Amino acid sequence: MANNKIYWSGLDELEGTEAYQSVQGQEFPESQSVDEFISDERHSSSTTGRRDFLKFMGFSLTAATLAACETPVIKSIPYVNKPEDVTPGVANYYASTYYDGFDYANILVKTREGRPIFVKGNKTSRKAKANTRVIGSVMGLYDSARLQGPMKGDDVVSWADLDAAVAASAGEGRTVVLSNTVLSPSLNKAIGLLGAEHVQYDAVSHNALRTAQSSFGVDAVPSYDFSKAEVVVSIAADFLGSFLTSDYDADYSSLRNPEGDKHSKHFQFESTMSLTGTNADVRTMVSPSEEGKVAAGILSVLNNGSVNGLEEGVANAVKSAASALKAASGRSIVVAGSNDGDIQTIVAAINQKLGNYGSTIDLSNPSLAYQGDDAAVASLVADMNAGKVSTLIIHGCNPAYDLPNAGEFILGLAKVKTSVCTNGLADETASRCTYIAPDHHYLEGWNDLSLNAGKIDIAQPAIQPLFDTRSAGSSILSWAGAEQTDWYTYIRTNYNGSYTSANMYSDANWNRAVHDGTFTIDVASQTPDYNATVDVAAALQNVAKRSGGAMQLSTYVKGAMGVGNHAANPMLQETPDPVSKITWDNYVTMSRADMENLGLNTYLGQADAASVVKVTSNGVSVELPAFMQPGQKQGTVSIALGYGRGSNGENIGKAAYQTGANGETLSLESGLPMPIGANAFPFTSGANYDVQVEKTGAEYSLASTQMHGTAMGRDSVVKETTLAAFLTEADKPKGEASWNKAPGLNVHEDVNHDGVIDSRDKKSTNAFDLWHSHPVEEVGHRWGMSIDLTKCTGCSACVTACHIENNVPVVGKDEVLRHRDMHWMRIDRYYSSDYSLEKGAEEGVGVISSYAKMEDPSVNPQTVHMPMMCQHCNHAPCETVCPVAATTHSNEGLNQMTYNRCIGTRYCANNCPYKVRRFNWFNYKGHGKFQNFNPAADSLTRLVLNPDVTVRARGVMEKCSMCVQRIQEGKLDAKKANSAIKDGAISTACAESCPANAITFGDLNDKASQVRTISENNRSYHALEEIGVKPNIFYMTKVRNVDTH
Amino acid sequence: MKRNHSIKIIATAVFTLITLQFSSVSAQSIWEGGDVENGQSLFNANCASCHKVTDEVLAAPGLGGLKDRWSASDDLLVKWIQNPQEAAESGDKYIKSIVDRYVGTYGWMNGQAVNADEIKDILAYVQNPPNMDIAAGDDSLSEQCPTIDYSADDSNEASSTLWFILLFILFVVIAVSASGVKRSLTDLIAERDGGELLPDSSYLQRFKAWAWNNLVFVSLIGLFIVAYGVTVGYQALMGIGIYDNYSPEQPVAFIHSVHACENEIDCKYCHNSAYDSKHAGIPTTNVCMNCHKAIKKGKRTGEEEIAKIYAAIGFDPATGTYVDGEGNNGHALPQASFEGEPLKWNKVHNLPDHVFFSHQQHVTVGGLQCQNCHGDVATYSVGRIAPVEEINGLVDKFPGLIQLSKPTLTMGWCIECHNKAEVDLAENGYYEEMHNRLKTTLRGNEELRRYLEDDKITVRELGGWECSKCHY
Repeated sequence: MANNKIYWSGLDELEGTEAYQSVQGQEFPESQSVDEFISDERHSSSTTGRRDFLKFMGFSLTAATLAACETPVIKSIPYVNKPEDVTPGVANYYASTYYDGFDYANILVKTREGRPIFVKGNKTSRKAKANTRVIGSVMGLYDSARLQGPMKGDDVVSWADLDAAVAASAGEGRTVVLSNTVLSPSLNKAIGLLGAEHVQYDAVSHNALRTAQSSFGVDAVPSYDFSKAEVVVSIAADFLGSFLTSDYDADYSSLRNPEGDKHSKHFQFESTMSLTGTNADVRTMVSPSEEGKVAAGILSVLNNGSVNGLEEGVANAVKSAASALKAASGRSIVVAGSNDGDIQTIVAAINQKLGNYGSTIDLSNPSLAYQGDDAAVASLVADMNAGKVSTLIIHGCNPAYDLPNAGEFILGLAKVKTSVCTNGLADETASRCTYIAPDHHYLEGWNDLSLNAGKIDIAQPAIQPLFDTRSAGSSILSWAGAEQTDWYTYIRTNYNGSYTSANMYSDANWNRAVHDGTFTIDVASQTPDYNATVDVAAALQNVAKRSGGAMQLSTYVKGAMGVGNHAANPMLQETPDPVSKITWDNYVTMSRADMENLGLNTYLGQADAASVVKVTSNGVSVELPAFMQPGQKQGTVSIALGYGRGSNGENIGKAAYQTGANGETLSLESGLPMPIGANAFPFTSGANYDVQVEKTGAEYSLASTQMHGTAMGRDSVVKETTLAAFLTEADKPKGEASWNKAPGLNVHEDVNHDGVIDSRDKKSTNAFDLWHSHPVEEVGHRWGMSIDLTKCTGCSACVTACHIENNVPVVGKDEVLRHRDMHWMRIDRYYSSDYSLEKGAEEGVGVISSYAKMEDPSVNPQTVHMPMMCQHCNHAPCETVCPVAATTHSNEGLNQMTYNRCIGTRYCANNCPYKVRRFNWFNYKGHGKFQNFNPAADSLTRLVLNPDVTVRARGVMEKCSMCVQRIQEGKLDAKKANSAIKDGAISTACAESCPANAITFGDLNDKASQVRTISENNRSYHALEEIGVKPNIFYMTKVRNVDTH
Repeated sequence: MKRNHSIKIIATAVFTLITLQFSSVSAQSIWEGGDVENGQSLFNANCASCHKVTDEVLAAPGLGGLKDRWSASDDLLVKWIQNPQEAAESGDKYIKSIVDRYVGTYGWMNGQAVNADEIKDILAYVQNPPNMDIAAGDDSLSEQCPTIDYSADDSNEASSTLWFILLFILFVVIAVSASGVKRSLTDLIAERDGGELLPDSSYLQRFKAWAWNNLVFVSLIGLFIVAYGVTVGYQALMGIGIYDNYSPEQPVAFIHSVHACENEIDCKYCHNSAYDSKHAGIPTTNVCMNCHKAIKKGKRTGEEEIAKIYAAIGFDPATGTYVDGEGNNGHALPQASFEGEPLKWNKVHNLPDHVFFSHQQHVTVGGLQCQNCHGDVATYSVGRIAPVEEINGLVDKFPGLIQLSKPTLTMGWCIECHNKAEVDLAENGYYEEMHNRLKTTLRGNEELRRYLEDDKITVRELGGWECSKCHY
């Protein structure tokens, strides 16, 4: 029977449209046909024939090949007069101190051949760890935008001319010194010599917190001791990320220890998902205008009152927080992040009521940071505009950028007769001053710093100054007309009046102080009156009256960027935000419901750009892309501070500006380079309880390193339980507790001897081996690591430390957008979802649809941070697929990556179940696309590279090596010391930098090692254990304290 | 040495005779009657680190001609040596003049614990120093320490190639002329016999015709040339990355044999970071100055080469002091303000790319001798890469050298050694712990038995063949 059916290639053919007929019969229906292309006259005018072209190609190839055979002559240039303590090839460490007005840390600086290359926390100090920003700060030393000498406007001047001009000006009229909080006793003394007014302010003001302590007779922000705080209630204070000097992680994590006697409970009330919020046991979403009511509610419950003005869910959370606090009186902390006097007064009253002052909160030896006085700086700006200031000396701050009224400050600055700034870059403020007297980078000069009275921390130079810069202290002394202007001598004389250069090295106390980085002096401690009455009546009335509009705004500080001091630091720009995982950008975080109401795009991808919104508050507006943030309170938006640096095209570093797809600096319509994000400091002038959010219609791509929000029910990746569930099975052997069951694989064999072969017949994954095992266990070393998900706060210090230690290339926003980020270590952040397969089955929803629903995080999700790097599998799937054996296993349990063997097939990356292998798509150090930000591409910044690690070439795979350079060094040290390796003597960059002590590194074959003990703990497991790849990295089940207190 | 000794005996004898003669005549002057031999040992113990017996300046003025210029009293000289500051307080004009002239530059001399008699002995030695020229002319050491000048070898090779090319050209000329002669003769015969003359053709045409006529011969020659080309090409390609005898010219004509053999300076005196760093290190200029502050004239190269060190560090040999940034001499220590051009040496022992080699692992822990990788550098003039055969030949002179077959400084050579070198597990606490782990566990025992199949535990068996031991 004949087939009469007619098949159409499409509806066009069926309908016989014109468009179809015009292309019908053309095999290649292109806009330009082959004939047309060939007959193009422009091609025939070319003088190079095909044969000539081939000849040229052949010749070039031969020439290149021959040229490559020649051995380059390598020069070897020894020191002329070698410093005694420098041995080429051996690192030296110097204790120093970091302070930039926002962060404070006791640090150890690693130098190689006199170059600082790595900064880490100083173990001997109480706050032993440094945060992401401090670790990344070493890059700033090698910033090619740094000023190379004193400047007058755009002209170079001599120090003598500058000093003469400033000293003359300071002698007449009103002189004011404007600075960040000065923590250097010597600098304070020097400023005193100048006889000028001294106004201090902080980029993020804690004025209210400080003044709230005045009830107790102390004018300082308190010292908090989170290591004793069994209950922590934070009202929008991001104390793990950016609160005060943000060094509370170690203390906080010391009580996140389910095996210990005490496990803290943490309540968080906030509008946006902060890093601290992701770690909270109980997180409640409140809008900024409700923060005061939360505080008032807690105080009320403590006084046996009721909670007013809050919706029921929030009120219940307030009640349970208050009752938990009550049970832990004297062993708890309540903090609020707001710079609102009423809230801070109520919080002070709560802590007083709980008896926390004197136990977890100390005012007798308070923190000397954050002395900024908002009122004083406001009146200074007014005076400047009124022409009442003739000389302004600006030190350590950038008011033209980070004052809420920066615009007015800039106008006023123009009216000051002589202004001089000590900033090292010609930034927003310095470029507008008459003179710039650039200070040393903190790694180049001496300093004394005192965060707590009685303890003086020393900052010592780790390198000779690279440029013709001068210590700010020296500058101030010169302008004050002091006789002794050498800063080092001045500091020494300050602590020892009889100091002369003759006894520079003979003072044993000083030598020890320089070695340790700190020393103590006797000072009288403050005598706060903790029983004084805190008058909260007015504050309670004020907060009760607060209400917000349809939209409220809060500002926050991001973990890696801080307040913008590191805007041109490519490593920190590329460190993903711990919560949103977005790199290189600023955005408005919004709730899903609000975004859907405004018709904004909630799905981000390489080709799915974010929608831009305009946020207006108190007459200030910014336009930024909107980012859907799970956990954002509906009706609120949040914007990070610290972005939008260099909006007037100031030379603050190439990496501070947006770079296009071909490596060019993008420009605004005005021709100025395009800053990254927008400046949100204008919003910090007051409350933003009623803001307007409009869709602009524009689109903007955001580069994120993690697009998925949830683990989608993959419970063998992240294991999590509650404290109560943990405690009921705390004594069970490893692999048997319900919250950490060892996986089994079904076999066709009656394993459990119940007479039937069914799904309950399982064997451990160890029973299946495709290959012979490597001789790793019990032979030689077996390097391993354990990561405690309960302790890990997700702060990303490890990511930055790994980046710097291992010369990991910085690839820029465009490449991150293409998912070609190179981080050896990433932190996967998983939100909880309301949906599950079980729920889907109950509701009769199909499995695939259920999974689709499980992709959506809850409105207020619980969050887990999971550091993920090469798991160094003993049955590594990557090793078996490498065609050239470039990745192999060592008998020390390391999965080795040999760059010079790798031919870049990328089979290994495809076969890696953890997706931790990174491919060098480009020659990052030479390709023009990366010139603006890759450290290896800049001849100065290149000095930060670690000489012990290869800088990888294009076309090779790379991944976490478990810092094998450190392992090799550690083994050699042990051999030279003629002893076995001591546990803890070798540490990887990530383990060493973890402020929460969540990462432990060691030898699993050493029976006494800490990592071995942890690996045998019943909370420890392998990620994706069921696939049987036998990793050397252990994770420890996350325990969340939701159900006990 | 022997000759030196006999000279000393003769000198002492002569001197003793002279002093005996004079002692009876003159009164007790400190310039006379001292014991030269005792004076020499006292001088070496107390004075030699700063003073020379000639006019030369070391860290202080030379003492040559001291008697003629000392215009203060003898007692003051004794006091001056025992306690210079006290002597200066005497107010003597001459003393004041030397204080003004020298103390600013060299600082005060430390008072020496010697009594007047001993000073007499010292002065006797100072006035009658041994003849330095005789010692310097001693070349028996040079015979023990032959210097192999490898640069000569290269020129030999080059000249033989030149000869070969000349001979080849000569051969071609002869062949062409011979063929011309043959052609002329053939033509002559043809002319005489009335035959046809050869056609007038070019050399190339004639060569082609000849080749066609001698096809087998030409094919064989062609085959030979191709085979030769392939062999030479293969060898050239296999030689890539092998730098046997590589010996680049250096900025200073430093002669290893003079230092390491004749003067018996240990390799690690100069290359001292071999003990505690991955780099053995090129000696820094201040290390050179430890000796060359005193030794201002080389045996072979005179002052020219040593002057390059002085130029780098800013040393003024005339005054024996260092120069500062403003060109003023008179400093006892090198001056940071002096900006000299550092010596830019050419690195000799270049390893293949992407390898992290550590000297301290091999020297301090492994106890390897320098010669195992670098050859007997003490017999070279300039640094060079010793071929592996040469190093193998040193085993009699340096017992314990590990003999290898792969070319020096290639990866094959490294891992060959790792496969041969034995590790003594009992020697070091670190290896002891490794050994314990092998002994005390089941899996470890299994491994240990495998290791011991050849009755020794090699570096390879402990992981010395694994990539990331050297590549990371």
